[in-house]
Amino acid sequence: MSDSILGYAVQYGGYILELALLVLIMRTGQWRKRIYVCLYLFLLLSVDAVGRPLVLHKFGVSSPQYSYFYWMSDVLLILGAFLLVCSLFRRACAGQEKMWDLLLPTLGAVFALVLGISLASLHEHYKNLVSVFIVEFQQNLYFACLVLNTLLYILLQRRESEDAELAMTVCGLGIQFAGPAANFALVYLAQNNERFWALYQYLGPLCTIGMLATWFYAVVHVPQPAKVAGKERAPAWASSALRPEGAK
Amino acid sequence: MVLAAFILITSTALFFFYLQAACQRALSTKFEQEYFRSIVNANRLEFLSLRKELEEYGHAVDYGRLRMTLKCDFLALTYLLKNAANVNQRYSRDESLLMLYFRALFVIVSARRLFHLSEKKGVLKLTAILEYFANVVGQRVNQYRFGNLAPSDYLLEL
Repeated sequence: MSDSILGYAVQYGGYILELALLVLIMRTGQWRKRIYVCLYLFLLLSVDAVGRPLVLHKFGVSSPQYSYFYWMSDVLLILGAFLLVCSLFRRACAGQEKMWDLLLPTLGAVFALVLGISLASLHEHYKNLVSVFIVEFQQNLYFACLVLNTLLYILLQRRESEDAELAMTVCGLGIQFAGPAANFALVYLAQNNERFWALYQYLGPLCTIGMLATWFYAVVHVPQPAKVAGKERAPAWASSALRPEGAK
Repeated sequence: MVLAAFILITSTALFFFYLQAACQRALSTKFEQEYFRSIVNANRLEFLSLRKELEEYGHAVDYGRLRMTLKCDFLALTYLLKNAANVNQRYSRDESLLMLYFRALFVIVSARRLFHLSEKKGVLKLTAILEYFANVVGQRVNQYRFGNLAPSDYLLEL
């Protein structure tokens, strides 16, 4: 009883946090700057709070349809997070076009490779998806994202980037990738032990909450750099004073 | 099997690394002024002298006193965080997270001591957390005006 209450608290706490963060970013007008974060949050919210509950309600928790939908949507979320990390690389390379020119094809190739391998593996094992295959597959996918995210963190440290908000976003994603990757590896090593599966039921949403809390901190607490004054029309006396003599 | 074990170890290590990095980022928040000095003086906290001692000698002269000092300062500051100029009378999420981080670091420092490893880095991190707490308390107290009382006078009367 207490287990299910805790499970619901973690689950609904996550939904509320996702929605609150999305609303906060929209209301504070920061969505232009964090458009990819917003898109990812929107994807997370539609899958977590809308898609999965709908399928669950229609087919039931023990139905194969729900299992398939759950794991497929999880793959979609990880691929979305992968793209988000790529967009953060772009932000980290702002003002360094040469580095970005070098990184863009590399990131594109890595994403195509991950996508290709994911689709091929899923196609091959589609009939017995909910088996040890999905554990190994998810473990590898999460770990690939974690490695990419860590490379981004190292890049930020090497460049001594002052973008504290970006660093917090990367830390949040690190928590989101590392926890489930470790849990899936543990489940794989323990050969699908049910206790470790039960652990994932809490660890997955808790890591998402950890990521969202870190992002919240980045949005609310990290000071924004001072805005550069916009172009304003110069007063008439200044324009006339600056105008070269003889010019109309 | 080997790959799974590698992923398990690396991911677990990175999980704690990112948690620590997020906490360290939160600690690096810049305050408008050094609010912590008045709090340290008013409450006779000792973590600043402890930090100075560590920076000068490279290690604590008396480990027992170091533990006691850190513990007492932590208790005093967490009490002030909750009760000094705090309308809600409860900790914020960041403060709760940092308190948890402090406790975890405290255990790690003790473990390092047990294995005869240098505890300097850990203790410096602990003092950084205490400085952050003192800054938060100082900033809060500073925002309130209590007649002609300075923040330290207010705290002495608490």
